[in-house]
Amino acid sequence: MQLRYVYSELGQGLRRNLSMHLAVVLTLFVSLTLVGIGVLFNQQASKAADHWGNQLQITVYLCRTNDSSAVCPNAVTDAQKTEISQVVQDNPEVDDFHFESSEQALDKARELYGDELFSGDNPAITAEDMPQTIWITLQDPEQYEGITSAVQGLDGVSKVRDMREQVAPILESINMLQWVALGTAGFLVFAALLLVANTIRLAAFARRKEIGIMRLVGASTLYIALPFLLEALVTALIGVALAVGALWGFMYFGIAELSQNRLKFVPWIGWDEFWLAAGAVAILGPLLTLLPTLVLTRKYLKV
Amino acid sequence: MIRFEKVTKAYPGHPHPALDNISVDVEKGEFVFLVGSSGSGKSTFLRLVLREYRPSSGRVYVAGKEINRLASWKVPRLRRDIGTVFQDFRLLPNKTVTENVAFALQVIGKSRKEIKDLVPETLEMVGLSGKGDRMPDELSGGEQQRVAVARAFVNRPMILIADEPTGNLDPTTSVGIMKLLDRINRTGTTVVMATHDSGIVDQMRKRVIELENGHVVRDQAQGVYGHQN
Repeated sequence: MQLRYVYSELGQGLRRNLSMHLAVVLTLFVSLTLVGIGVLFNQQASKAADHWGNQLQITVYLCRTNDSSAVCPNAVTDAQKTEISQVVQDNPEVDDFHFESSEQALDKARELYGDELFSGDNPAITAEDMPQTIWITLQDPEQYEGITSAVQGLDGVSKVRDMREQVAPILESINMLQWVALGTAGFLVFAALLLVANTIRLAAFARRKEIGIMRLVGASTLYIALPFLLEALVTALIGVALAVGALWGFMYFGIAELSQNRLKFVPWIGWDEFWLAAGAVAILGPLLTLLPTLVLTRKYLKV
Repeated sequence: MIRFEKVTKAYPGHPHPALDNISVDVEKGEFVFLVGSSGSGKSTFLRLVLREYRPSSGRVYVAGKEINRLASWKVPRLRRDIGTVFQDFRLLPNKTVTENVAFALQVIGKSRKEIKDLVPETLEMVGLSGKGDRMPDELSGGEQQRVAVARAFVNRPMILIADEPTGNLDPTTSVGIMKLLDRINRTGTTVVMATHDSGIVDQMRKRVIELENGHVVRDQAQGVYGHQN
């Protein structure tokens, strides 16, 4: 097959339909960026939920040495822990629960704030500063008063925190942002598909004479469709490159900036999640242009 | 080379079939005129040979292949054995004469070397040597049709199909094109030509198949255009 011919056709096709290709590229760019942002928010939401527990969880802080709470004269003993877990286990509102040791709590904190606070000869925070906790998952998020009051007065319990009050609004906004991004992306993806279809129709119309002759002299279907497929691929790749660039900007100037300087208490997504979103965009983009091209070239360029 | 066995072709929405149970046999190397009024089924006949359509019933054999059963992806290969010429030339206006002829070879993947050998040779055969760099709109109608014939023949097909090739040309120019088709026929290529041009048919004295309302009403070895009583 003469690649020279295919490339010159590709160049001609891209030039001839420049405005349509630009429209496709821009629509793809915006929709893919939104898809990527949706994916990032989705991971942000699950990361936050992992860290704080989901909306079904409440946390029981156990007494530690030098606890500031008045109900804690000493650190919690093993016997007290056994009794508390018995109460938790017997409560009908509880679905599941687990202990988190001081060391695990320290690890979580270290992950969030970085190593400096915790290392060196005289670290600012050690495992002893971190309370042991019991993480309780509820059967029903509405029914928590029973377990809260049952555990509240027990010896060795410092306080019961219902994180839902603080975490729920944050999780909800992240979730909402995710759906807004994905919903808008859905509409734009649809628009992109229609634009691709129109572009191909125009291109096939502009080249109908050549295509007719190609069919007559026995050019294979692939040979006839190849310039169209390459055009679709080129527009997709440009759209993907722009979208990945925009996502990178979003990460670099948005998330990284926020996570390093402000809002440190939130566990932010990092570059791993960025690459995942970029990968999703890189797969989706070519699919969005190649699939309609394959379907429509079969329709318009039938031998 | 071309065989129709009880072929019927009906189009959806049309009460009468375009071809109605016709059987025709064209041998290798024959020159056949297909005559008949508009709507008699000539174009349908040619399109069945090119496998643009499949017959509604019956069998069509082209170059030894039963084309009803030919998979779609094999159709391009079949068409490489068939050259086609039309009334309206169908040249690419933005390509030179040489490029137009070379296009037919490029798109079926011939090497540059082959193209370089075959194109000038074919242009010379159709009487256009020296005009390879012209654009189609710089040529007369007869010359344009010669380019189309060159494009159809450059791949040395077994069959040449011509659908009213002289329909847009004056009688003198038409004679030139007919001489060219005759020459191509003499190289062993089977030629099937649909035409309304009675003068040409009468002059050439070749086999004539006349269609009327989808039926073969005449199949004559050395016929003329009109009925001979």
